[in-house]
Amino acid sequence: MSAGRFDPLGALHRLNVLVSFLVVLAVWQLVAISGFVPAKYFPDIPAIASAFWSMLTSGELPGAELRTLTRALTGLAAASILGIGLATLSDLSPVFRRGFAPVAALIQPIPPAALVPMAVFMLGLGPRLYAFIIVLVTVWPPYFNGVAALAGVPGEQIRSGQMMALGRWQMLWQIKLPAALPEIFAGVRYASTISLIAVVVAEMLAGHDGLGFLLIRKAFAIRIPEVYALMFVCALNGILMNGLIGLLRWQLTGWHMRMTEQPA
Amino acid sequence: MRAGPAKDTMSGLIVPVAILLAWQALAWRAATPLFPGPWQVALSIWKLYPVIIGQIGYTLMRALLGFAVAGILMIPLGILLGRLKTIGRLVEPMMDMLATLPPPAVVPIVMLFAGTGDIAKIVIIAYAAAVPLIMNTYEASKGLHPMANQVARSLRLSRFETMLHVDLPASLPMIATGMRLAIASALLVSVTSEMLLATNGIGVFIQRQQENFQIAGGLAAIAFISVIGLIINSLVFQLEKRWLFWHYRSSGTH
Repeated sequence: MSAGRFDPLGALHRLNVLVSFLVVLAVWQLVAISGFVPAKYFPDIPAIASAFWSMLTSGELPGAELRTLTRALTGLAAASILGIGLATLSDLSPVFRRGFAPVAALIQPIPPAALVPMAVFMLGLGPRLYAFIIVLVTVWPPYFNGVAALAGVPGEQIRSGQMMALGRWQMLWQIKLPAALPEIFAGVRYASTISLIAVVVAEMLAGHDGLGFLLIRKAFAIRIPEVYALMFVCALNGILMNGLIGLLRWQLTGWHMRMTEQPA
Repeated sequence: MRAGPAKDTMSGLIVPVAILLAWQALAWRAATPLFPGPWQVALSIWKLYPVIIGQIGYTLMRALLGFAVAGILMIPLGILLGRLKTIGRLVEPMMDMLATLPPPAVVPIVMLFAGTGDIAKIVIIAYAAAVPLIMNTYEASKGLHPMANQVARSLRLSRFETMLHVDLPASLPMIATGMRLAIASALLVSVTSEMLLATNGIGVFIQRQQENFQIAGGLAAIAFISVIGLIINSLVFQLEKRWLFWHYRSSGTH
């Protein structure tokens, strides 16, 4: 977290992103030209750019990109809602909390890749497969953070609510959830990274369509510049997703960020 | 609210048992070997556990090696970058970019350079484990209190000694968080890399089971992965509590 919005280095930092991107490109180009690594395996920047352009204009990339992003975003939304819902339920019912915690601890370490082959048989190759995989691996960060945050709501806030004679639901809706939201969002942010990874893995293994499938197909066709271009696209997707979550977070918990990030 | 530990355990069982029963009911309704219930999975575990344990050994070995490589390289690098502010600021966006690149997307490139053997998989695992390690180490080392630095200077520690005796211990709590994430992703990527670059290991075992329509066998292997993940997680948690007790004691959490 960058400290403070009045940081005089802030503008410089933003420039840093550009500078560092240019440095990466320059170093890359130098390595490629130096012939240190065979050009076949390590194409130079123009080759990668033209591969990117040709995939873009042929409509291959936009289609795959759209599919992958849609899957990741809908999966993330569904998993976040489910995760927050489960956390809320855990907060309301101790029986559910005690029972669900071990289930979560058992399912959480399962790699998405291991689930794909089984799920293909149980659910087919359609949207249900992706929904299942993404939700099953993405639901945990919002859930764990939600449980911790709801349990950690300061006692003064709860007592103020009781003083105003709020009912159980009002208490949840008006006091506990808003107080827990910043921590829940940290979980959602982490989940967004996982959801992208899960989608790409599922597409690589289910081998049907999307960015992951395109990546594998190009790799097996030994179209190296295309593979590098797709890797850049994957990294960009992550940045895009982070930006989206950041925007949403500012909308929903801006009060909290303003409070903590600006030293008085 | 305390109703005795025995009653707590009993009520804690309600949800897991309900989930198992619902799953079994769905499996009965589906009535096909392609949708096994928990009972069939338990039978498969009983039948297949020697094979599964053998295969999971390969998987864990590679995960451990990859994690070790990442730790040895990335923790010192992170501390160094935290010291060299200018270079650190330049490298930071690059780390962010790498962090968003899913490890499986690296697989085709690694395949080109290192083939499909153990080395290739260890490289992929090390990459996956490196990202959380370096980000957390760098973040911790960058944000160290300037006072620590001044103490080191008044003790006339050399730059290297400062990094070893001041920066490293002070960064340990955040490094521990990074390690936990790194272990999780090392295990995850170990399985994934096996499925994409098939030779041996639990990932390959799962794929073979699928190819032979033995869904229950595959689920049995998944059950093993999940139990091992659980054990590793709690082990890491215990170690963290033992080694970082000073941090938890001073910050008052747990």
